[in-house]
Amino acid sequence: MGFLVTTLIFLLSGGVASLLSLLCCNRGPSTNLFHLTLVITATVCCWMMWAIVYLAQLKPLINPILSGE
Amino acid sequence: MAFERILFRSTRGNIFLRQEPVDEHVTDPVSGEKVVKNAFIIFYSGDRAKAKILKICDAFNANRYPFPEDVSKQLHTVQEVSAKLSELKATIDLGLAHRGNILKSIASEFENWNRLANKEKSIYHTLNMLSVDVTKKCLVGEGWTPVFAATQIQDALQRATIDSKSQVGSIFQVLDTKESPPTYFQTNKFTLAFQEIVDAYGVAKYQEANPGVFTIVTFPFLFAVMFGDWGHGICLLVATLYLIIQEKKLASQKLGDIMEMMFGGRYVIMMMSLFSIYTGLVYNEFFSVPLELFGKSAYACRDPSCGDAATEGLLKVRRTYPFGVDPVWHGSRSELPFLNSLKMKMSILLGVAQMNLGIIISYFNAKFFRNSVNVWYQFVPQLIFLNSLFGYLSVLIIIKWCTGAKADLYHTMIYMFLSPTDELGENQLFPGQKTVQLVLLLLALVAVPWMLIPKPFFLKMEHERRREGHQYAMLQSADESVVADLGDHEDSNHHEEFEFSEVFVHQLIHTIEFVLGAVSNTASYLRLWALSLAHSELSSVFYDKVLLLTWGYNYITIRLSGIAIFIAATVGVLLVMETLSAFLHALRLHWVEFQNKFYEGDGYKFAPFSFALIGEEED
Repeated sequence: MGFLVTTLIFLLSGGVASLLSLLCCNRGPSTNLFHLTLVITATVCCWMMWAIVYLAQLKPLINPILSGE
Repeated sequence: MAFERILFRSTRGNIFLRQEPVDEHVTDPVSGEKVVKNAFIIFYSGDRAKAKILKICDAFNANRYPFPEDVSKQLHTVQEVSAKLSELKATIDLGLAHRGNILKSIASEFENWNRLANKEKSIYHTLNMLSVDVTKKCLVGEGWTPVFAATQIQDALQRATIDSKSQVGSIFQVLDTKESPPTYFQTNKFTLAFQEIVDAYGVAKYQEANPGVFTIVTFPFLFAVMFGDWGHGICLLVATLYLIIQEKKLASQKLGDIMEMMFGGRYVIMMMSLFSIYTGLVYNEFFSVPLELFGKSAYACRDPSCGDAATEGLLKVRRTYPFGVDPVWHGSRSELPFLNSLKMKMSILLGVAQMNLGIIISYFNAKFFRNSVNVWYQFVPQLIFLNSLFGYLSVLIIIKWCTGAKADLYHTMIYMFLSPTDELGENQLFPGQKTVQLVLLLLALVAVPWMLIPKPFFLKMEHERRREGHQYAMLQSADESVVADLGDHEDSNHHEEFEFSEVFVHQLIHTIEFVLGAVSNTASYLRLWALSLAHSELSSVFYDKVLLLTWGYNYITIRLSGIAIFIAATVGVLLVMETLSAFLHALRLHWVEFQNKFYEGDGYKFAPFSFALIGEEED
């Protein structure tokens, strides 16, 4: 689906998760910041993992050689 | 036997001995054990024989009882003895019953009394920490409280005054002090486990940044990078959900040591399993089997007959597989070269990211404590050094992936140092790369003395400025109260001990640690690759060589035993051992590679007095 599109999807779902956490667990500014930190860190980690695996397969230098079974 | 023999020999055979073993075992009054007893009767004549027999009986610890010669008297004695026996038996039985009753009545109260006694003891221990103010006949105590709890404490003190009906209330006053306060993080049952993980390495210094916040996400994430298999992740999730659902029941039970640890870490394991499901989907491994969940594989044969699939390989015909590793790779001959390259580069990228996060947290620490020396002469050169070398490597990796170039990044980095002015030739990834590399190399070289030299001089200047200020203040305060003088004394004692050579050596060690650490810590992140490879290989072996092999046979017993061995191996090796292993390595990455960029961890924990903790200490 393309790199940029999926990155946008990650960004949007991160935003949605932050809003959800603000809406349902609104317990003061310090706690909200804490929840936001967690959500953003998790989104960034998951995005990095996906992006790395995606980019590595974009223009590969080796191709799969089946084992012949 | 020996008894008989000695008697026979000493009396020259002039006695008659008859013995019978007693049927019941008798309880020996001295030792309390049941022993076998023999009853014996000796017929003898003469006084000398009597003396000898008595001595021998004593030597053998035999009990002698008087026995009358008259038959009726014998019967009488036997009756007496029986009556005594039954009396004694009755007394003993009554005594035992009484003891049982007393113990039962105590048993129901015992725990209560124990707890009350412990509470009182702990109250007195705490009272011992107060000091008696002799002139005013009261107790004075100094302690730490969190700022938000001040009103609660006032209320509690008032309530105590009312409850104990005393005439005088307690006085609560805030003191000024230069001692460093204890560290207190308010945690709930979810964040407690992660905070304990951080505290196990060292409790945070008062008011420094708490790495526990990021640990809640990055620790399970790095675990999952090493564990990536969504089948195993689901198993872990089910196990930990059971622990969480049964939380209230299990919390009140007494669990064994290992179960205690697992129960305490249930939320950690839950996060670990959730992230493992995610990375399992990215690695495309479900008990090592890849599934085509996100569309067709991007690869297909060169021609319809697929003749050279095993020699030349498949071609990429469609767009890149949208989420995760393409399922075609598993089982192919070039799987390992591809995955190894991917995972090693991923480890470097994740490692550089986490280390940069650590350095940035050190900036925020320095800003909070208003330590501008640390900002300009530690944070900036550290950031420059790490990023001009390994940040640049990360950028090269991403460029190589995006352009599909055949450049050799190992040699690029090595020649950047060994022969920076040489032409890059085949290893060129973007125009002007040689100049960029020269600039970065110079920046890195400049960053090292930048980290090393200025800071000790600045610290010396600050120390001298503070000392001058203090000397001035001491002259002025010669007429002031005792307290201020004492305070100044303490400070001057602290500052007298500024040895420039010591500070310089300390800074040298810190610099060398950072410079060498930049290389070694980045390489250390390769354990993410190593453990992930081990996990997928083990899982693949168990699947291919146990489950599939035994499923090939037609016999139900072989198939069932194959399933059993597969389940046992998966649970034992992969779910238990690999979990512990990946947990440990993720922990090490956090404690060493992440936290040594910013964490001081030399504080002490806030430990308020609590009745609840006494109960825990008991066990």
